[in-house]
This record gives sequence, C-alpha cells and structure tokens, in this order.
Amino acid sequence: MSGELLGALEDYRARARSWLEQHAAPFGGEARRNLDEAQDLELGRRWMALKYEHGYSGISLPKHLGGVGLSQLHQAIFHQEEMAFNVPTIYFSISLGQPIPIMMHYAPEEVSKKFIIPALRGEQIWAQLFSEPAAGSDLAGVRTKAVRHGDDWILSGQKLWTSWAHHADYGVIVARHDPSVPKHKGLTYFWLDMRAPGVKVRPVRLADGTRDVNEVFLDNVRIPDSQRLGKVGDGFAVAMHTMVIERYSAGADETGYGPLLDQFIALARGARLAGQSSLTDGRVRESIADAYRLQQALVTMRSKAFLALANGDEPGAEGSIHKLVSARARQELSELALDLEGPVAHYDANAKPKENWVASWLAAPTGRIAGGTDEILLNIIAEKILGLPQDHRPDKGVPFDLT
Amino acid sequence: MSILYTDEQKQIGESARRFFSDNYSGVVLKDLLEVPGRYDQGFWPACRDMGWTALAIPPDYGGLGLGLIEFAIVAEEAGRAVAGAPFLLTSYAAAQAILLAGEQSLCAEILPLLASGAKIGTLAFAEGTDPVPLQLTVTLAGERISGVKHAVLGGAHADIAVTLASRDGAPALVLVDLTDQAVRRDVLNTYDNSRGFANITFDHAPVRLLTTEDAIGIAWNVLNRVAVGLAAEQVGGADACMEMARDYATTRYAFGQPIGKFQAIKHRIAEMYVANQIAKANCLEAAIGFTHGSPRADPLAAAARISAIRAYDFATREGIQTFGGIGATWESDMHLHLRRARSSAAVLGSRFLWEDRLVAALEAQA
Repeated sequence: MSGELLGALEDYRARARSWLEQHAAPFGGEARRNLDEAQDLELGRRWMALKYEHGYSGISLPKHLGGVGLSQLHQAIFHQEEMAFNVPTIYFSISLGQPIPIMMHYAPEEVSKKFIIPALRGEQIWAQLFSEPAAGSDLAGVRTKAVRHGDDWILSGQKLWTSWAHHADYGVIVARHDPSVPKHKGLTYFWLDMRAPGVKVRPVRLADGTRDVNEVFLDNVRIPDSQRLGKVGDGFAVAMHTMVIERYSAGADETGYGPLLDQFIALARGARLAGQSSLTDGRVRESIADAYRLQQALVTMRSKAFLALANGDEPGAEGSIHKLVSARARQELSELALDLEGPVAHYDANAKPKENWVASWLAAPTGRIAGGTDEILLNIIAEKILGLPQDHRPDKGVPFDLT
Repeated sequence: MSILYTDEQKQIGESARRFFSDNYSGVVLKDLLEVPGRYDQGFWPACRDMGWTALAIPPDYGGLGLGLIEFAIVAEEAGRAVAGAPFLLTSYAAAQAILLAGEQSLCAEILPLLASGAKIGTLAFAEGTDPVPLQLTVTLAGERISGVKHAVLGGAHADIAVTLASRDGAPALVLVDLTDQAVRRDVLNTYDNSRGFANITFDHAPVRLLTTEDAIGIAWNVLNRVAVGLAAEQVGGADACMEMARDYATTRYAFGQPIGKFQAIKHRIAEMYVANQIAKANCLEAAIGFTHGSPRADPLAAAARISAIRAYDFATREGIQTFGGIGATWESDMHLHLRRARSSAAVLGSRFLWEDRLVAALEAQA
C-alpha cells in the first residue's frame, strides 16, 4: 500500500469517526436501553437510512447499483469505527453480508438493482436459508425439495437456525432438485419472498434467551424459475461462494462479536484480586496480551485479504482463520470477565453481547458453531490450504437417496 | 509501505530461501550442537555476499537503506533453515543501537563495518535473566567499563558490542571492542550451541560513549526491533516444522490410510498453520509500525514476540508428536527446531516479561 493510499484511508477514518460522533449517539448505547426488539429494529432502520443518506451504507458496493463505490478497506474502517457506538446494525448484518452480494453476483442486474437500495436503507431485510435439522456442518445434505413445475419450482421442507427470518422480507435458499445424484450435485440455489404463501417462520429460543434464529417451514412454496441463482445443479458452489463472502465480510469483527478489549481492561482494572487491582495479576495480563495479539493479527490479515482482493486475487480459505480464532478468543475472554466480576456479574437479559460480558459469554458457544464450526473450519484450512487428505466420507459419490 | 510485499521484497525472500535450501542441511547443523563455541563457517560470508548485512543500514553509512520489513523477510528464511549462527540478528541489533544512540561521526566510522560484515556486532545488555537490568552492575568510570554481562547472544564470536553500563548510578549506552585484552569471554555450553552464547567479563575495558540520555528507553527501543527480527526467525522455523509435519502426515500410512486423514492429526497441523499466520501478521504489522514510527509499534512488537514464541513452541512440540518415534531421534531435524524454539523463547526476556510490557503499553495508551 502506498503512503498516499494509507494517508487517504486514515483521512477516511477520521471523517467517518467525526460523522459518527455527530450522528450516532441517538441511535446507540444508552439510546437502546430498555427498547424491545421491535423498537430496536425500528431505530436500526432509521440509522441505516441516515447512513445511506450520508454515503455510509453500501460503502464498497458499486455506484451503479446504489452503493458508494469505495473499497472493502473503507467499508472495514467504517465498521471498525461504528463498532464503538453500539448501534443496532445486527438485524442487517446477514442481509447485507451475504444475500445482497450473492444477488449482485448471480441475479440479472435489473433484478438486483430493485433490491439493493431498500436493503442498504434498512427498509428490507434478507435472510439466508441454509441449515436444516439434518444438515448443518454437512450442508450438502439438505433435504428441502425443489420440484420443477413448468416455469416454476415448488419448494417444500424445513430450514433451521435462520437468523432474523422473523423480520425478513426476502431470502436466499439452497434446495435439492435431484435426490438421485450424489449429494453435492443435486442442489440448486434460489431467492424467494419470505411472505409468499406456504412460508412459515417460528423462532427458536437459544440458550442465551434470544430469539434471533428461526425454523422456517416451506409448504409447497411456488417460485418462478427466474428466481434461480446460478445453474440448476450449481447450488452447492453458490452456497460455498456465499460462505467465502461471509468469512471475508467487511463486517467481520476481530473481537468475535464480543465487547472491545478496552472494556475488558477497564473491568480488570476495577476488579479486586488478592487485595489488589486484578490488572496487576500476571494471569490476567497474559489473557489481555493474548487477546490483543490475536485481534491485531486478525485486523492485519483482513486488511491483507482486502488488498489482495483489490489486486484482483480471489479470496481463499484463509478467511476461515478469522472466525476460528475470534470466536474462541471471545469465549475465553468472556469467561474470564465473569470470573473477575464475581457471581453478581452485571446481568441484563436485554443486554447485547457487544456491550455486556454475560451476554457475550452466553452467546459465545453459538459463535463457535454458526457459519461453520471450529472443526469444519480446521478441515477447510487443512484440506484447502495445506493439501491434507479429506476425511473418510462413506457417502461420497453415492446417490443422495441411497445414503 | 505495503502490507502486501512489493516485488522487490518478494525477491529478497525468494533469493534468501533459495540460498538456504541450496546450502543448508540438518547434518551440518547437528554437528554444531555438540561442541560449544562453533558456528556455521559458511553463514557469515554468505550474509555478506547476499547483502543481508547491509539491508537495514542507511546508504550514507554503506547500507542498502531498507528497513525492518526487509530484514524480517530474510530473518524468516534464516529461521526456516535453523541457521547455524546468530550474527545476522545480532549485527542488526548493534547497528540499530548505534543508529539510535550514536553521534553521526561514530555512525560514519562504525556502521560501514557492520554493513559490509567486516565486523560482527551484538548487544550485551542482559545481566542475569534480565534483558534490560534496572540495577546495572556493570559500571562505567571514565572511558572504561567493568563487570559481567550474561548469556550474550553471539558473544562467543562478535567483534564489537553495544552494552549498558552505569555511571554513578545513571545508565549509559557504550560501544565496546570485544577483541580488547581487557575483555574475557566464557563460552557457554547450552542446548543450542550454534547461538554462541557467552558470558563477557570487562575489566576496565575501553569503550566509546554512545549516550547517557534515555539509555534505557533506547535500549528497549532496540530490543523491540530485535524482538520483531527474532520473531520472524521463529515464524520461519515454525513454518518449517508445520510443513515437515504436513508432508509426513500425507505420506505416512497407518490403519490403512494416510495419518493426515485423521482429524486428530490434520486439525493439529491446521492449528500450527493458524498460530504461524497469527505470528506472521503480528511481525509484519510491527515491522510496518517501526518503519512508520507508529505509536502502536511497541505493543505490536511484544505481540509479535509472544505470538512467535507460542507458534514455534506449538509447532515443535506437536510436530515431533506427528512424526512419532522417528521425530524424537537425533537424526530427525525436529530437535534442531525444538532447541532453537526454546533458546529463542529464553533470550531477550521470557514471554511473561513481554506480556507485561504489552499490557503496560496498552495501559499507557488508555
């Protein structure tokens, strides 16, 4: 990166920060306390609209599609700065993170154009319908059926762990159009209207008390073939593309979506251990040092990946490292925060994982599972980067309906 | 300054890797382990021929005017090869200390000798296990120092050293000629003998004063940079171990399949890769930090050192485990790395000290 570009990026950071300082307070932190989810979402929609008006939504999307036309580095810088204000953007993270970029890649431009701006303004939300009760890590094992009827497809089945489906207007989905071929080959990818007849959404309450994820039931949902993304039979490849985008998303958070390290240091300073501030304890300092070095490395690796992207290289499996490292580190740091706070750790059922250690700790197990478990990520690193042999897979090459 | 290497930087790395793979083998290196005070005789002339001694020294003083980023690229390759002499790092360290603390005339006199490799330099700061002692026992009176410096890296062979001495209780950085008759070296027999550790005793040894102003601050500034250079060596070594383990796991069969098919093995190798990538990223960011004078350079250097220690320990420990019995033999190269991982972790102060320093830097910023 030339000194000039570095300088330009730092200028951008300064501008973004000052804009956030001027505008974010009514939308973040204290302003969100005691809001229920509907109110919080509404606040989020207003925040997204304001960002859009000022050129801070869709920062890295091309101008002709309604974006700002800057790089992913700019997007990442804005996101880093925005994090400190704890604004309600979580409802839009999946929507803008994966389905919208996928629509950009695979839908005809006149179609994707219709959806991008409403999504950037927070008016519409997109969901990603991938996992099922019998297909999680083994995504190619999905059982939701897509049956061709003339120019239409009829979708039937059940999806699970679908984040924000209860707010979603649209979704992208992988379904099985042909069970007579091996599992990876019989899949096709579509987008659909979440309000179409036959779509039923039921929240699943997670261990941390949240209801962000859902079961989605599809009962003979009819969609036109024009809503297919990619070729018939290419569903798995498009799904993998979605996962790569997810693991490289500009929104990726080096804290693993937990509180900032500064917040931990402040907590450790105030906590007492053997009559002294716990910040003087070597074990606590070791944990802080570890969190710092890991977070810094992830920031560096992500910037490097974006630069490589800007140079025209395709993103690779290295993005898997980000989630693997950040999710584990966040779980450990959250545990330690609770240990330092003692049994009366600040508990607030409505608190968000980014601002509260109890919430972060309770949600941490999900972080290590959602979007690819630690074990799947290690497999990806071992196989795709290091060329180690694939696990033994007894269903390989066997028609899906015979497994 | 790029976070992605430029073509020139890539070329430096590639030519270094080629040199080491053409000229190095574990067989030679193992011989060096058994006798204290020996080092690889081919190493230093090669460093001079390749221009590595001149890399990070300004053109005004006979150098190439590159910096820590390029130095770290070469260090990584030296580490990958478990290079049989520490002089590249120690001479870099001495040159940085002289650059930061010395007057221009002294720089003009000494730095060209380090740039050409005519002289081998090192740092002699440590007393006991303290890399920068607060209570110095080596004293400076007039233009002469007396006392003992411990476990000086490359101390068995270096020609000159930058050292810390106390003048009436105030720390000073001085340059000392180690070949002077008032200097005695006691070469230490260690588990990693090609590092040339020696205790050095000064008995009214003549010195040139570098500075009395902020000597401790400059000493740490130098050590921070050296920590990044050493971390790059460690990362290179850790990568070599990971690659050896990976290659073995893809060819060694047990229970009817390559052992790399078992997740117990493949996940461990993937974890090595992850740890190495983390350390590599920390090294790069720290090197960029020093190049740009970033206020975060100090905690980033500590991060690089801690990550590199952890990565090399993990890669050697679990690398040997991947090989099984054959990895624990003298014949295997793994113990060269095992030894180097430990000696690198122990020199410059332990991980615990650097963790403390890192957090102290964060506290100071808060």
